[in-house]
Parts: sequence; structure tokens; C-alpha cells
Amino acid sequence: MTTISVEDPSTNHTSMRVGKASQRERRWTLASVFSWVVALIFFAPIAWIAMSAFKTSGQILSVPPLFVFQPTLDNFIEMFQDPKIPKFFFNSVLLSVGSVSIAIAVSFLAAYSFSRFKPPGTDFLMFLLLSTRFVPAAAFVIPFFQLFGILNFRNTFHGLIIFYVMFSIPFSVWILKGFIDGVSQRFDETGLVNGASRAHVIFRVVLPQVKPGLVAAFVFNIIFVWNEFLFNFQLGGTDTNSIPVALFTALYQGGAVNWTYVSALGTAYVLPLAVLIFFFQKYLLVGMTFGTVRGEV
Amino acid sequence: MSEGTLAGGQEDAVPSRTPKRTIKKTKLRFSSESLWSGGLLVPVLAFFILMNVVPTIWMLGLSFYDYTLTSAKGMEFIGFDNYARLINDGPIQLAISRTFLFMVLAVIIQTALGALIGYLFWRSDRMPGRRLALTLLFTPMVLAPLSSGLFWRLILDPVFGLVNYAITSLGFEPVNFLTNPDWAFPTVLLVDTWMWTPFMALMTLAALGSVPKAELEAAQVDNLSLWQRLIHVIIPYAKFIIVLGILLRTIDVFKTMDLVYLMTNGGPGDRTELIAVGLYRLAFQSFNLGYSSALAVLLLFIAIALTSIYLFVLNLRARKELKEQS
Repeated sequence: MTTISVEDPSTNHTSMRVGKASQRERRWTLASVFSWVVALIFFAPIAWIAMSAFKTSGQILSVPPLFVFQPTLDNFIEMFQDPKIPKFFFNSVLLSVGSVSIAIAVSFLAAYSFSRFKPPGTDFLMFLLLSTRFVPAAAFVIPFFQLFGILNFRNTFHGLIIFYVMFSIPFSVWILKGFIDGVSQRFDETGLVNGASRAHVIFRVVLPQVKPGLVAAFVFNIIFVWNEFLFNFQLGGTDTNSIPVALFTALYQGGAVNWTYVSALGTAYVLPLAVLIFFFQKYLLVGMTFGTVRGEV
Repeated sequence: MSEGTLAGGQEDAVPSRTPKRTIKKTKLRFSSESLWSGGLLVPVLAFFILMNVVPTIWMLGLSFYDYTLTSAKGMEFIGFDNYARLINDGPIQLAISRTFLFMVLAVIIQTALGALIGYLFWRSDRMPGRRLALTLLFTPMVLAPLSSGLFWRLILDPVFGLVNYAITSLGFEPVNFLTNPDWAFPTVLLVDTWMWTPFMALMTLAALGSVPKAELEAAQVDNLSLWQRLIHVIIPYAKFIIVLGILLRTIDVFKTMDLVYLMTNGGPGDRTELIAVGLYRLAFQSFNLGYSSALAVLLLFIAIALTSIYLFVLNLRARKELKEQS
């Protein structure tokens, strides 16, 4: 159990060449037509929700379903006039950005130590961190619920931020250790021999070289916290609830589901995610595999 | 000190300065090194202990008590009784075997479909708008399962849903997908497949990307058929990442909760009660904290076993690479 990070330099190399080739000439083939059809099929359910967001509630419930209709912005206007909704967005942004920033800062330091000094127990700790990825979240809800009650952390931003920092640490450490392992030890040695301090080596020599890792860790942790429902639902409250909880509670407001509200809020919630996937597509693989598989698609 | 050149990745460009170090200083550096190695870990360790070790010990402790929030009895230490009960608990065993069935079906379907889609996109690496198409394909897997469940409830609605409109206009009876005992399980499986097939497609794309270009070109020169190329060139390189993808999907089925909770809440009856849903219902609908903690501990052990398997496969490849290098 010495090297745990997977890195195949040839992978990056070839896929980079493919990327350049694809920029050179674009053309339609049978396979690419089918690819587009598949992509559209998978996106269709989301597109349907986005379409519903521009319908009146009568149009959403109409039989047969309407494909052509007069779009209205009323749902969005109504949504943002409700003071609760901007609050949900504010909470989601504060919780995700706040906790992920802290998590990445502390994870970078730990990852550097794991990568360079390999203190005793490194493998074991990396194992434990990875195992948190594999445990059903529901298993930990009760101890956290009681612990947060004792600490008076329930429905507070500091409580939830501390929780989400831990939630984001395992993935950040794994992904950053992989990237730091990819930076040759000789950089550190050269720096130290030339009289640079350890802090200088960490922040001025290694840090700039793992920027892609930091970006990938940041983007995907934001997505994970942005999506997290169970703990925000159980540990948070009206002051700190995020968008997934807002979507969930819409289900049980006054018996029937308020579909205009769900589709408008759902669309506003999906949009940032789709934009992130578009711009950070090359980090998707490392993001979805907990930093254990690297390469580009 | 020219950190600019260092950061630029050109270590040769660093001006060499004669190191003036005595033995004493080296010793000093050694001890400061261990200080650094420990010091850098302190924040992460603090978070880990507070937010991981403490809750785990807490959970372990609770699992030895008879403790139900809704009963007036309070907490009573009962040793391993909760675990003994777990072994003979019919509904839990049923939920576990249902989870296994779901796992096998989900992993097979998603791997097959994902491999096909991944291959399709790999073949069309020059397609127009590839990045946008991939974004559309990958969006389902980055949505919160909860919101996916909610969206599908609108689409599958028995009265005004899109799917039932299609079914009825083809002349069939409308189906109440989420409350019909025969349809609920396949429906949840279908939505899970919609969410996670893109993940297997992503893994397939990455796996195919790990096949060296030179080998593929050589295969083309040798005029190998697609089947031969698959067996002799592609699979030997691609299998590793695919296996990791299959393992991750297998493990994630154990965690599937939000999606089912939102779509069916385990129902109708217990038709869609996967183990993570059962755990949640035990804890937050029956408020049986002691007993549900015992189940949580059991799942924790399963998770640790699965982690070992995942790491074993991961290391297998790392070792193989080392061997090839030497």
C-alpha cells in the first residue's frame, strides 16, 4: 500500500492530442449524430422541467401536455419576490463557498504532508478518509443530530459550515495528494538546498503547480455541498436551509405539490450545475471518482 | 530566490548556490521536518476527530442501548441484543437482499448502456458541439438525487405526466408508476439508470482514452476487425478504469437513499425499500435510535470492506505500472 494515486501520464498526453485534433476539424459522422441523440434523450427530463418553469400552473397540469405554449416569466418573478427564496440561495452559496474554502486550505496542507513526509499512519488515514465516501449518509445522521444538539450547533451557520468542511475534506485530500505526488520532489529539495524555507516551498513552489487540482477540488466540492440534502434537512433549520431542502418542503406544502414553484426553483438550481459541467468538463472524471482516477474525456 | 522559474516548472533554470550546511544544521532540519509533517496535519486531524471519530464512537455506543425517542422508558444498556435482533430481522434481511437485486440489475444495465454510449462518444471525438453534448449527457449525474426524484414525479404523474400521456395515446391503460406495487421497483431502477448511466459512459470514455494511440494505430495498420481490436488492444488497457467504475457504482447503490425516499419513500409497502432507506426510516420515522445505530454500524463495516476492495484494485494497477517502469 505505498502508492495509492493513479496517474497515467500517457493518458493525459493522448487525450490532449485528441483535443487539439477535434479543434482542427469538426464533422458529422453517423456516430456523432447518434451521440447527439443520446445526449438529448438524457437531457430531455431536465428540459421538460425547464419548460414547465415557463408555464402557468394550469398549463403544467394540462392534459395532453403542452409542447407549444405562450411562455411566462411569472413563476420566476413570483419566486424571487418571496423573501424566503433569495435566502435559500444565499444559504446555499454561503455554506458551499465558506466550507469548501476552509476544507481546501486545510486539505492542501495535509495532502502536502502525506505526499512529502509520509508520516506513520498515512496509508491508514487515507484509507479512513476514502471510506467516508462509501458509507451511507443516513448512518451518520443520528450521532450528528444528537451531537449538534449538545453543542448547540443546530440551525447555525458555523455548525453547518464545520460539518461541511469535514464533508469536503476526504475528497480534497485525496485529489490534492494525487496532484502533489505528480510534482517532482526535486522541486522541494532544490528550494530547500538553496535556502528557501519550508513554507516558501509549500506555498510558492508546490502550490502554483497544483492549481488544476485546487480548481477541481473546489468545483466538485461546491457541487457536492450544493446538492447535499439529508444533513441540511436534519441539522439545519429555517435560517440555514439550502435549495434542496426548499425543493423537498415544497412537496408537502398544503397537500398538493406546487409544480410551478418546484419547476422554477428546480431550473434555477440546475442552471449553475450545468454551467459548471460545461466549463470544468475536463475535471469531471477526477471529480466523480474521488480523485482516484485521472485523465480527460 | 527565483520562485518564478521554479513555478514555471524548469528546475534546471534555478541558479545553483553552494549549500553551506554543517551536520548540526542538517540535524536541526530533520527535527523541523517532523514538526512540519505533524503540524500540517493538525487542522485536518482536528476536523476528522471532531466530525468523524466522535460520531462513530457515539454511534457504536448507541448501538448497545435500547433507546427509542418516542418511548418514556429512557436509555437501557442491553449489550449485543440489538445486533442479535438484527440477525433475525426479516424486513431488514429483505431490504438487504432487495438492495443486492437492485445493485446487480443497476450495475449490469448501467455498465452495458454506459459502455455503448461511451464508445459512441469516443468514436465521435470530432463531433460538432461535443462539449455541449457531453454537458447535456452528464447533467443528470450531478443533480441532487432528491431533485431528480422530484422532477421524475412530475414526468411520471398518472394524470398529467408526460410518460402516461405517451402510454395512453398509444392505446394502453395509464400506469401509476410510483404507487403500483409491480411498477415501483422497475421505475426507481429506471430513474437510477437515467442518473448513473452517464457516469459509466464517463468512465468508459476515460478507459478508452487510456488506450495508447500508437497501439490503436498499429491495430489499424494490421487491419484487425473491431472485435479483435476490442479483445487484444482496447480491453487490456481499458478494463482497469471500467472495473473502478463498476466498483464505485456497486458501492453507491448501498448509499441510494434520497432518490427512493423522495419518489416512493420505500413504498408501496416495502417494494422499494433499499437498505439505506430502511435505515433512515428506522431512525427518523420509528425513532428507534439504538437499533438503527446497530444497523448503521453494520453498514459501516460493509463500507470499510468495500473500501478495501476498491483500494486493492487501485493498488493492483499502481504496482503493475511500477513493474513496467522497472
